[in-house]
Amino acid sequence: MTPRSLELTDPAPQRDTANEPAASDAGGALEHAASGAARQDSARGAALQDGAPAAAAPLTLRALRKRWRKDLPLVLDDLDLTLEPGTITWVGGRNGVGKTTMLRVAAGLIDADSGRAEVWGVTARESRARYQQLVSFLPAGDRGLYARLTVRRQLKFWARIAMVAPARVDATVAHAIETFDLGELADRRVDRMSMGQRQRLRIAMTFLTRPEVVLLDEPMTSLDEEGGALLQAAVAEVLARDGAVLWCSPSGEHVELEFNARWLIERGRLVAA
Amino acid sequence: MSATIATAPEHLQPDSRTSGAIAAGHAFLAVMRRDLQVFVSYRTRIVSQLLTAMFSITLFYYVSKLVHVDGFGSSQSYFGFVVVGIALVSIMYSCFSIPELVRQELIAGTFDRLLLSPFGAIRSVIAMTLFPLLYSFVMAALTLGLACALYGLRLHWSTVPWSVPAMALALLAFLPFGLLFAALTVTIKQGAIGTSWVIALISIVGGLYFPVSLLPHWAQTAAKLQPFTPATEVLRHLLVNSPQTTSLGAALIRLVAFAAVLLPVSVFALSRAIRMGQRRGTIIEY
Repeated sequence: MTPRSLELTDPAPQRDTANEPAASDAGGALEHAASGAARQDSARGAALQDGAPAAAAPLTLRALRKRWRKDLPLVLDDLDLTLEPGTITWVGGRNGVGKTTMLRVAAGLIDADSGRAEVWGVTARESRARYQQLVSFLPAGDRGLYARLTVRRQLKFWARIAMVAPARVDATVAHAIETFDLGELADRRVDRMSMGQRQRLRIAMTFLTRPEVVLLDEPMTSLDEEGGALLQAAVAEVLARDGAVLWCSPSGEHVELEFNARWLIERGRLVAA
Repeated sequence: MSATIATAPEHLQPDSRTSGAIAAGHAFLAVMRRDLQVFVSYRTRIVSQLLTAMFSITLFYYVSKLVHVDGFGSSQSYFGFVVVGIALVSIMYSCFSIPELVRQELIAGTFDRLLLSPFGAIRSVIAMTLFPLLYSFVMAALTLGLACALYGLRLHWSTVPWSVPAMALALLAFLPFGLLFAALTVTIKQGAIGTSWVIALISIVGGLYFPVSLLPHWAQTAAKLQPFTPATEVLRHLLVNSPQTTSLGAALIRLVAFAAVLLPVSVFALSRAIRMGQRRGTIIEY
């Protein structure tokens, strides 16, 4: 189910590219907006062929346990969470309760002490490169940018590091600049931008390669109304192609979104909000 | 339960004309291009570094006029000896700048992003070495050029072209030291502290400013345990026709051996440091 407030108002350009050569495909990298379902079918097909259950989900966290120090309580205590295709899930809780830790484990940045994090049945241990192609993580804060690079160069760099086919890098970057309304800032250095503008760039980087699963940690930080609307549109686009979004923010934050599920982390486990 | 292998998003799958290797090659070049863009964004940096090189060779030009010792037929021969040493120091510094670059990535939070990219942190760190090494290569050439132009250094032109592949081999032998310190930086977050000691030590036992034969016997033994001594000897021979204490072939074999053994070891150490940081959760610290 797609939340009502996340209806696509400006879907990604969807030219019929089936018969076009990739090199001349101006928007090729990002013009497969309707292909999510096909990918999902493909993943499920692969799952069946491997004898695994067809119920593999975009993101599954199973019995995650994490303790930072022996003298501290578990921050994640057998935490389970499954994101279904085309859904957005909110996880909240007090500061320091483990939201970011859960996201970092889900992103493949750090390991849980035990348990599994799977994206479409793939774990980071089994296939790190493939896992990282499927999932994208927006950390909280304002880090993760090269201060001396312009917006365009930053996006181009991350597109290449994401191993986007070289012929499609320029189109990928152009689409991100357009989608997140970064045109006026495209040739401005990051250290000359406001916090909200930087956050918009960070969000553009997160959605740059059309990930299957998007993990957002306090994404509204510093965003103005327009930035918030762009983020919502990007989220809607992920859901429309049957991806999944996990949105974490403190309990008190007001977010004008209709989530498919709402959870709180308490004592390392998820409880219904 | 057996793993389900999902397909990558279509736009991330290599098309018929693009292999993963080509995309990886582009990613390597992207890191180098990024470092070049950051470098040129500081407009006075290259001027400052050229002035530093000029002051160094000027200093040693006048010091060389005081040198009248066995092994150097003239002050000019010591000047040639030390200028090659200065050029190599810039290359050595570039190798040992890698841990500091990694630390900057950790502080900026960009290391996390590299780690979470399909290109990966290990390849990214290796790619980070490209620009500093190429830049140090250019600075070494400029240092030699300035010494020729300002103080009449005479290069041995018939063998100078061979110094390019020899320098490349030396870089491969030096690189593992930078990667090992990068692994240390990922682990203890302050690898740059040790690098200054190591650079000072290598400057002494590597024969960069004076012949190794002047050192005590035990220190001469230490000189044989690292690749900087054979590298300086080879390059001095090729650039300014300095006499060699061992054959050129033997020195080159030592460089190849250092590179062949230490490169895999250093890459393994880096990958273990990153994995350990992920397991312990310290990879996010800086």
